[in-house]
Amino acid sequence: MRIIDRSSIVLGLLLMLGSAAVFAQNLDSLLQGVMGEETEYTTATFKATRILNGHSVEQMDEGQMDFRISHRFGLISSGAYEFFGLDQAHIHLSFEYGIKDWIMVGIGRGTFEKTIDGFTKIKLLRQSTGIREMPLSVSYMGGIYVNGLKWSDTERENYFWQRLDYVHQVLLARKFSPAISLQLTPSYLHQNLVETAADPNDIFALGAGGRLKLSKRISVNAEYYYLFIPDNETLSTPIYNPFSLGIDIDTGGHVFQIILTNSVGMTENAFLGHTLGRWLDGDIHLGFNISRVFQLKK
Amino acid sequence: MRKFLILPIIMSLVSACYWENEEALYPEHDLCDTLDVSYSEDVVPIMTNNCYACHSNANAPDNSFGITLEDYEDIAASATSVVGAINHAAGYPAMPKGADKLDTCSIATIEAWVNMGAPDN
Repeated sequence: MRIIDRSSIVLGLLLMLGSAAVFAQNLDSLLQGVMGEETEYTTATFKATRILNGHSVEQMDEGQMDFRISHRFGLISSGAYEFFGLDQAHIHLSFEYGIKDWIMVGIGRGTFEKTIDGFTKIKLLRQSTGIREMPLSVSYMGGIYVNGLKWSDTERENYFWQRLDYVHQVLLARKFSPAISLQLTPSYLHQNLVETAADPNDIFALGAGGRLKLSKRISVNAEYYYLFIPDNETLSTPIYNPFSLGIDIDTGGHVFQIILTNSVGMTENAFLGHTLGRWLDGDIHLGFNISRVFQLKK
Repeated sequence: MRKFLILPIIMSLVSACYWENEEALYPEHDLCDTLDVSYSEDVVPIMTNNCYACHSNANAPDNSFGITLEDYEDIAASATSVVGAINHAAGYPAMPKGADKLDTCSIATIEAWVNMGAPDN
């Protein structure tokens, strides 16, 4: 009996050692995985799906719905009588949904030209390290915008296509460090109907935006679009490059963005084609975006 | 394979493109008629809205060094100077003073009238 006991103890010990060895092996492979044997995708390049006015590479995950409320007020320079612009609010409301992790769609309604808009955003590449090294996140954003104003002249023949604008954007973003992300956004705006022959139906623009994270909940954002348009003087209405500065505040579930911008339009067709203010002339509007994300599907 | 779903979505977004402008599409609405310009019907209203604040008989002595453009004889005599001034041409004082240039059609109307010999029609 004693012999058996002893041998069983020896056996037990051996087993324990063995399993420890197996465990150590598992730990090794796990560590290897963490150290680069697997692909690690970059997350949270930006806090929200918009840098400020324009889209960022961020998307809703599958089954997530984002309800967005945005306001842009009148000119801050209009003074106390106009409550620094707050008396003239432009709004944009939208529902945006992640069909899959790589594709999201959205539909919205804005004050500018009473526009109804829809967009599709698709992830093409994800920034990653590990087995797959990818320096950039690349997405495509396509939007369509329907002017909802009454026809200015009902006497003449009006067609539905005259209401439509289209925007295509390629979003190229890189998170350089946990604190700094930058994005370049080549953009193309097409307007089916413009006012005069001097106004371009097609406008190309290059956007640049960035995020500087100050703390876990707060970051500072900036966004600029350079418009490739002929001399402003020749256009029936001069338009300027939209520039926005803002702060992201993440309250967990909500993202607030507080914004200073020279554009009252919140949709791409509006801020690319109809930014009438200039920062240099003091044409600055206060605004905010609120984003509330709901998990509709687990 | 599922990513090929992208194609129809993109295609739906780029369809139905037109390159139009209202000016060309509805020419009759903003047409600037410079063929048959009348002094009383076309020129005087432009002058009333833009010039007589300073250049009327009553206001001219105080506001415009006595240059009056209200009577037909006065404006006909200064016709060339008026065209130079409203075009902001070199050698002429830019008019209306301290304001934007007149709209293209107003300028074209006055030019056409002057080119017709500034008739009292």
